[in-house]
Amino acid sequence: MSNNILEVKNLKTYFFTGRGVVKAVDDISFSLKKGENLCLVGESGCGKTATALSILRLVDSPPGRIVSGEILYHGEDLLPSSSARLRQIRGNRIAMIFQDPQSSLNPVFTVGNQIAEQIKLHLGLKHKKTIERTLHLMEQVGIPRARERMKDYPHQFSGGMRQRVMIAAALSCDPEILIADEPTTALDTTIKAQILDIFRDLKQKRNMSILFITHDLGTVAGIADRIVVMYGGRMAEAGTALDIFDHPQHPYTQGLISCLPDISTRRDRLTPIPGMIPSLINPPEGCIFNPRCERRIPICSREKPPEIVISGEHLVACHLYSQSASPEDRIESSKNAKR
Amino acid sequence: MIRQISSKVGGLKNLIFIGALLVLAIVLLLDIYLVDQILEPLEYFYLFFAIIAIFYGIYPLYANRRLTKYYWERIKRHRLSVFGLAFIVFLIAVALIGPLLTQDPTKVNFQEKSLPPVGFTIQQSVYDLKAEEFVTRETPGTWQHPLGTDDKGRDMLAMLVSGARVSLQVGLLATLIAILIGTIMGVVSAYFGGWVDMALMRFTDVMMTFPFFLLLVFIIFIFGPSLVFIILAIGLTGWTGTARLVRSDALSLRTREFIMASKSLGASDTRIVFRHLIPNVISSVIVIATLSIPGVILAEAALSFIGLGDPTVTSWGVVLNAGQRSLDTAWWVAVEPGIMLFLTVLAFNFLGDGIRDAFDPRSQL
Repeated sequence: MSNNILEVKNLKTYFFTGRGVVKAVDDISFSLKKGENLCLVGESGCGKTATALSILRLVDSPPGRIVSGEILYHGEDLLPSSSARLRQIRGNRIAMIFQDPQSSLNPVFTVGNQIAEQIKLHLGLKHKKTIERTLHLMEQVGIPRARERMKDYPHQFSGGMRQRVMIAAALSCDPEILIADEPTTALDTTIKAQILDIFRDLKQKRNMSILFITHDLGTVAGIADRIVVMYGGRMAEAGTALDIFDHPQHPYTQGLISCLPDISTRRDRLTPIPGMIPSLINPPEGCIFNPRCERRIPICSREKPPEIVISGEHLVACHLYSQSASPEDRIESSKNAKR
Repeated sequence: MIRQISSKVGGLKNLIFIGALLVLAIVLLLDIYLVDQILEPLEYFYLFFAIIAIFYGIYPLYANRRLTKYYWERIKRHRLSVFGLAFIVFLIAVALIGPLLTQDPTKVNFQEKSLPPVGFTIQQSVYDLKAEEFVTRETPGTWQHPLGTDDKGRDMLAMLVSGARVSLQVGLLATLIAILIGTIMGVVSAYFGGWVDMALMRFTDVMMTFPFFLLLVFIIFIFGPSLVFIILAIGLTGWTGTARLVRSDALSLRTREFIMASKSLGASDTRIVFRHLIPNVISSVIVIATLSIPGVILAEAALSFIGLGDPTVTSWGVVLNAGQRSLDTAWWVAVEPGIMLFLTVLAFNFLGDGIRDAFDPRSQL
């Protein structure tokens, strides 16, 4: 318990739009341990980014609002905190990296300037020390010729290099937690591998806790300790990387994994999950995945599934594994599966 | 100590900047409450303008020579704007050192009234003291008054030089006040949104509908016609367009990820507004400023022309007004300030166009 540095409990973040209430995050709970890499996985629009932004209380308000829940950082609830306290934590204790390195750097300042900004803001170092630290950070994330490059502007950097700059800025104050919101999505495959290496390094060398958000299970495979699979603003399944990859329980997780190309088994086609992600304004009754689920049973469209412990840390929110599902339900499910 | 404070405000440069403004403010307060007239009111404006120009204009251009060179290359390709820039530099030089070299523009000398510019000769009826009657005589222009004199014998060159100073003062200072207010209004409005945006923009609407001319007549009625009040009046009413343009620029910036990123790294609202939003809208602000200077110059000339200007200064509008009375006998008195106004306005417009194209990354020059 004590090694949980971040705990999210029953978080609900809703967006109050003109067309209705979007329940972007609906009752999500997870915890992050020291030196652990936790991955939030899910399709676009399933509330991953909203979860991440909620942790730092960065949800745009209006229209967004954190309706209820707790976000405990070392036992301190961040939701009622003052904005001054939040500014101390942001960047300093919990840092965040965004998806698009193209637009997450200010185009009118040199990159060195932007990394140094964080250092000055939080650590209050002297000018010379700040420069040294900036250089050191840039070298750490693998930017060659850092001394010259720090005087360059963001547009003079390639996408991968810019993402490295973002990581350097996020690391500038040695945060305990790094939230990375799809940091590799906008990058080429080769660059992606390099960036993932940096994350692996950070975890090992600095014992940093990383909350890694991605839509791509393939990216996650190499770096995740634990994985939370999200669907429609809710948790579908959570467990260690082994649990999720080797014994996926939730039909959605199974579907995601069968979407992955695999070299070892030769398949002509990947199996897509049928249907579209549901509207979060009018989510389907019961289990939010039920309209697309191949193993749907009658109870799925009636009741919200409970979270069931499969083993140890492996949780799944699915009626198939619950006691409340009747024997008839089970039979129907296996029929559906055969079809 | 100094180091702590300077790191708090973001570097030694900012500390010096704030210090310089503070010193200016203290001298101003001393001037108002304790001693009389350390400096003329307008000189405070100059110093204020000079401080801002050095820290936000000259220093950054000097510090980043690569970018300066890049912009210069781009402006250079716009031939007319280089002419504009040259003319403005010339005008500034004239306004700064010209009054030291020319005669007193207010000196009246009826012996030499209505002399034409050099190279022109006119028929003029003069009172001959010996014959004690009016005779018509050929009057050639003299080198003593290269641009001629007006109907009171005042030197045209001296008046035009003095007018250049007035026009630049009004143009630069009023525009500076206007864009300072406009930029902050626009950025704050866009960044905070919601009721802040609502309140500021409705206030802008009210200011826009306010008859500027009436306000000016009102101010002049209360405080008397003084250049300082004219500058203040133009500046304090002229920011509305800037505010709207800057707001629309800042609105699109606000949703950019780097704003969210700097928030996620712990930046405060003030920091985001001054460090991330304003530097990003500054290129359009510069263009707006350059293009609004001619309007302000014309407004001052118009006011002087109809007699609402400061009677103690010789501005182009005043000379135009004088020339208009003697258009049939001495055309140059009206034409010369007219040409100056025309060229100045044109120069600023050309320069503004050039800067706009240079700052627009999409334009392929």
